[in-house]
Amino acid sequence: MRGSMGGKWILSALSVVLLVFAVGCAKKELVKSTDTASGTEAATPPSVETQAVPQEPIVTETMKPEETAMAGVAATQEKPSEFSDIHFDYDKSFIREDAKPILQEVADYLKANPAATILIEGHCDERGTPEYNLALGERRAESAKTYLVSLGVKAGAVSTVSFGEEKPIDPGHDEMAWERNRRDHFVKK
Amino acid sequence: MIRFAGRLLLFLFLLLVPSVSGAVLYIDINAPGGKRMPIALPDFVVTGGDASLARKLPEAIGGDLAMTSLFDVISRPAYLERIVTEHFSGRPLSFPDWKMIGTEAVVIGKVEVRGDQMMAEMRLYDVSLGNMMVGKKYTGPASQFRKMAHKFANEVLYAFTGVRGIFDTEIAFSARPEKGKGKEIYIIGLDGSELRQVTDNRSFNLFPRWSPDGKRLAYTSYRTGVPQIYLRNLADGTDRIVARYGNSKSPGSFSPSGDTLYATLSVEGNSDIYQVSLAGSGVQRVVGGWGIEVSPSVSPDGKALAFVSNRGGSPQIYVKNIGSSGEKRVSQAGYYSTSPSWSPAGDRIAYTSFMNGRYSIYTVRPDGSDPRLVVSGNGDCLDPSFSPDGRYLVYTFRKNGYSELKIASVDGRWQRGLFKGLSAAGSPSWSPRR
Repeated sequence: MRGSMGGKWILSALSVVLLVFAVGCAKKELVKSTDTASGTEAATPPSVETQAVPQEPIVTETMKPEETAMAGVAATQEKPSEFSDIHFDYDKSFIREDAKPILQEVADYLKANPAATILIEGHCDERGTPEYNLALGERRAESAKTYLVSLGVKAGAVSTVSFGEEKPIDPGHDEMAWERNRRDHFVKK
Repeated sequence: MIRFAGRLLLFLFLLLVPSVSGAVLYIDINAPGGKRMPIALPDFVVTGGDASLARKLPEAIGGDLAMTSLFDVISRPAYLERIVTEHFSGRPLSFPDWKMIGTEAVVIGKVEVRGDQMMAEMRLYDVSLGNMMVGKKYTGPASQFRKMAHKFANEVLYAFTGVRGIFDTEIAFSARPEKGKGKEIYIIGLDGSELRQVTDNRSFNLFPRWSPDGKRLAYTSYRTGVPQIYLRNLADGTDRIVARYGNSKSPGSFSPSGDTLYATLSVEGNSDIYQVSLAGSGVQRVVGGWGIEVSPSVSPDGKALAFVSNRGGSPQIYVKNIGSSGEKRVSQAGYYSTSPSWSPAGDRIAYTSFMNGRYSIYTVRPDGSDPRLVVSGNGDCLDPSFSPDGRYLVYTFRKNGYSELKIASVDGRWQRGLFKGLSAAGSPSWSPRR
């Protein structure tokens, strides 16, 4: 096609031959006719396949116990805490120096109240992907738990949950907000 | 007579290889930037029911075809012939009139609505040859008219390319409902219509993943206050908990057979990847380590896993043959690479990577060679998921807290928005073929 005029001519001659051939093929291939009376092309009623399109399934939630539903709703809300949050570096889960006095407070409280239990929520800032952040939040919560245990707290008194990037305490989208949102939050149970 | 140079070559090709899927191929789907097939989509004939369907159906088909960048829909005012009922009972189309406006193909249709049921007959004609290439009659609820249009658009694409279309597929994702602080799972059609809400429990519902048969969704829900993996049966709306072992949990991907889920389970703060049997209760660790191991995506042959690990100091994509001990890093560039999605043909892995101050979508071969940038915008592009034909990716676009779902062709040449009706939309997952 990009060649000389002669090449073009040969190609177009070939194309006519091919087209004639293709028309013959195409009729056979394209119309899946179940009609035996294959008369003239235009008059032949073309075959039309019928297909049923089902109704979209109606999606219904199964009923669940009321208290379970409430726990789910409560999970989306920030719970009050008498302890300050501890904060983390970007994509890190090690305990920073500025977190240690707060963890000491939590440890002192748990040691003074042997029956008390605490839930550590691990959180991330909005950057990165949500699934990785769920795992990172888990690690941040567990990091604080390990530190509390090293201070003499019984492991059974502490449980952890990660909220990944789902529950920012600061709705902003800058460094300051991100720093506040990379945190562990301590909730008395 | 012949408008496409490629057409001649394809005919020639078909003479040499006459058994190619039985269809005459007019368009080479793998030749980007080639000439587009002009197609006309005149108003359908509506013999009963909502008259607006006359235009809605051809518009839906035209929208689908435009997405492929292989067709040019000729604008309606140019059309010289009006389609009437008789065209479906023997009267031939006036092909010279269609040729004159430069079209190669015409789609005509007839719709009849009775109560809440409808019948739609659609036909594709080759203008040059003057024959019908495809004829289909769809019956079903009138509310499903778009689905019928998408199914016929699949037929049109198949007739011209020999490649099956994906226009009737759907995207599952997570987003914040209009009321409340939680997130619910939703499903939306590929054309951005037919939004349906799947969960309604007002907690966080995240990371939906389709089963290979498209009948179930695995997802993470905080409905009991802690993250658990649930398996939703989409037909009857029932849920069951999948894995009870471990703390935080997220579903990664189903095995090709659908009887196993590769999931991330966290035990004592250490997230690892487990194989969870959906028939019994068996849980087996397949990827471990001291670091974070998360987001498994299984290869289409079921033999390998792509996953994220931060064992090297930052999160990167690794590939492992299941059952072997070797694990190879495949993401090279970028400080932060996450959320792998294996292509249906098995030849590439899409992922998110942080480069030059933003998150962008890349693909790479499973052996780590030939990395390519797919999309990068003036914001962050995250969490890619391949279309079942491997030609597109759906992903999350985020900027300053704004979030929407977008679709791009894998070569990055074409992009469009999919959904921005709810805030915090993310974690999209493309359904299998219908």
